[in-house]
Amino acid sequence: MLISASKTIEADTRIIGVEHAMAKPSASVKERQQDSAKCICAAIEAEDFSFFYGSTVGVKNISLQIYPCMVTAIIGPSGCGKSTFLRSINRINDLIPNTRIQGKLLVNGQDVYEKNINLVNLRQQVGMVFQKPNPFPKSIFDNVAYGPRLQGAKKRFGLQQIVEESLKAAALWDEVKDDLKKSALALSGGQQQRLCIARALATKPSVLLMDEPCSALDPIATGKIEDLIDQLRSDYTIVIVTHNMQQAARVSERTAFFCLGEMVEYDHTARIFKNPAKKQTEDYVTGRFG
Amino acid sequence: MKIAVRNVFDKVFTGLTRASIVLLVLVLAVVLGPILYRGSSAVVFRGTVEFRRMQFAVFGHGDEQQIQSEVQQARAVRERVYEIVDEFKKGIDASALTERARKIHRDFGQELRYRQTPHEQYAELRSLSRDIRDRLEAAFEASDKAQVDESIKYVMQYRQDERLRDTIAAEYFQMAGDFQRAAARVDLAKRAEYAEQLKDVEDILFCADDRPGLLGPRPGELQPALVMNQYGATRWDQAKALLDRFLWEEKWVEQEKGKPLVKVKVERAKIFEGTELEPLFAYVRDNVREMLRPRWTFYWRYFFDDSASGHYFGGVGPEIIGTLLLTLLSMLFVIPLGVVSAAYLVECASENMVVRIIRMCINTLAGVPSIVFGLFGMAFFVLFLIPLFDGPSKPCILAGSMTLAVLTLPVMIRSSEEAIRTVPQEYKEGSLALGASRFRTFVAVTLPAALPGILTGVILSLSRVAGETAPILFTAGVALGPVPDSVLDTTRTLSYGSWDIAVGNRISALVPHKQYGMVVTLVLLVLCLNGLAIVLRSRVFRKLKGQ
Repeated sequence: MLISASKTIEADTRIIGVEHAMAKPSASVKERQQDSAKCICAAIEAEDFSFFYGSTVGVKNISLQIYPCMVTAIIGPSGCGKSTFLRSINRINDLIPNTRIQGKLLVNGQDVYEKNINLVNLRQQVGMVFQKPNPFPKSIFDNVAYGPRLQGAKKRFGLQQIVEESLKAAALWDEVKDDLKKSALALSGGQQQRLCIARALATKPSVLLMDEPCSALDPIATGKIEDLIDQLRSDYTIVIVTHNMQQAARVSERTAFFCLGEMVEYDHTARIFKNPAKKQTEDYVTGRFG
Repeated sequence: MKIAVRNVFDKVFTGLTRASIVLLVLVLAVVLGPILYRGSSAVVFRGTVEFRRMQFAVFGHGDEQQIQSEVQQARAVRERVYEIVDEFKKGIDASALTERARKIHRDFGQELRYRQTPHEQYAELRSLSRDIRDRLEAAFEASDKAQVDESIKYVMQYRQDERLRDTIAAEYFQMAGDFQRAAARVDLAKRAEYAEQLKDVEDILFCADDRPGLLGPRPGELQPALVMNQYGATRWDQAKALLDRFLWEEKWVEQEKGKPLVKVKVERAKIFEGTELEPLFAYVRDNVREMLRPRWTFYWRYFFDDSASGHYFGGVGPEIIGTLLLTLLSMLFVIPLGVVSAAYLVECASENMVVRIIRMCINTLAGVPSIVFGLFGMAFFVLFLIPLFDGPSKPCILAGSMTLAVLTLPVMIRSSEEAIRTVPQEYKEGSLALGASRFRTFVAVTLPAALPGILTGVILSLSRVAGETAPILFTAGVALGPVPDSVLDTTRTLSYGSWDIAVGNRISALVPHKQYGMVVTLVLLVLCLNGLAIVLRSRVFRKLKGQ
């Protein structure tokens, strides 16, 4: 314990950003427990899940349980399969030809790769935000309304309200409320990403998957997105893949560390960064590789 | 490679690209310039009073009062021409005079019967009249002045005869007197030559059988059957050409022995030297402006009027309508077909042998000659498909536009495919991640994003289809016909019309400006359609980019 403590003291200077980050207060446990009672978020469970691109391994033997109503971060070096795993959850990987899976991946108890699964329902339940903001070349209103319209919402039956709520939830309403007809491509990068989050929230999902949402944004926009994640944390199950360890430390409650297609460690964020169980994890978070 | 050499190459490359652009512009100017210049003379030209008269009579354009007053003014100046010609004809037009003499004889006989003259007197007077008539005819035919005088003298002795005084027969003597005076001034030996020359002159001045003249038919005379010949020179350049032919005769003359004949211009006034007709030429030359009253005309109705008299008069309105109908209808067929095929090739088709063969077929189809499409269209659409749906088995706009759609399908498929492929994958992922089906994603996200590229394909197809002639030769096009009522009618088009005028030498020599005009109209129409489509595409593009 002492030895590892001294190591961590030595390493502390390196992960000082993490320290500061973790000083940010998050909601007290009690409050969180109260919230989770009325929370409708889904839990995600992977049981020995593997994903192959042809003969190449994407991820191998992942067994992981993601708890509802909290932010879970997945960190790891490039090519370790974090995005692959994330994209398997809502089956966006189906776009890629020549892939196969093994094992089970359950969202709210239902196997995602089951034969008779309703993909439309799944994808409306599991929202996704991509690395590069990808608003459609339509107006802001039409972007956010895209999902609800698929669900059958009509203008006169509350579509306006859904759009407004989603934009407010994404902390974008004040900035765009004057002109919702403006093209979404005219917004700045940060605003576009928040728009994509609003768009994903408009279908009232229970899970929100975020694939490196801030990697294409400047620090100020990144800060805003992280604040947003903080606000959303108690209402959705959020899984965020990130390259930025400090970001993972700032926003998440639990963290999984992937390396070379396998999950190395999964624990509370504080423990992963301050006191990791595996050496590989420690090497990564202290920056010895990656 | 040394830096210096590389710099030289760079400069040479830049210079070559600039030179090629200059060359392109020069080629366009050389090719399009004359066509545009000549074609514009179909719309902007100096029109004469005959043109305005024709426009009012045939098409109903123009102010009636104004035209009438102009026509009166022109006729006032033309009177002198008619006078001179008539005077001259009195002297030499033997057949007309003979005809008139016979008419007098007939009318005299009728008058006698009307007056119920007793039978003997009737017979006597009739034979006298016949005698006078025959003598007059001899006088008219005679080529010797002495003969003429003798015959006239014989006839004139009956002038004071009271039996003939108050009758129609008195006109005999009027005629005889006129003729004697006229014959005195005319070289009777040349009478036959004069007659022939006069016919030429009259043809040029008034109208010939197959082409109109300078002033048009004489008022009061029987109008010719062809509308074309019922009016004089409608354009000032036409008038000038006719004036030239009027003043000068072209003859082939052997100038040097053994060498080929040379064309020589001979002044017609010299032929009629010394006769009454001689002042005609100077008069016409000096007064042709008053007789025709040319004025700069902007004939914008050229694009709306029907053509009259086989494109001799009028405009290309029906042709424009036909071209537009065919083009737009074929676009209506090809755009959905092309986009759906492209969608299949991009979204649904897996890369196996069948799909590869399909692609190869599409590419081959792009190289098939257009006449083959015409024959295919006739065999398949006209003779098979339309009768299958109880339609008439004859060429029609429907068959023509379907043929044109098949012709331009490869272009449409290729550009649509390109456009759909270029849509970023992110849009598709974003849409699918929100729970949209693949079809919904395609229609709501991919297709609008691919619209600029698809519109590019539309522009390319439009230009091609508007100018095609071979596919509609057998399937929809006719040279003359009414404006189509429905899609089951044939139609005239600009391309077909241009070809027809060029091939049929009916009128192409008479109205070159019409030919050029039709071609220029086609070029302008294609430019307009392209311009519209380009504007549309740039607006869609800007909306996609978020401006």
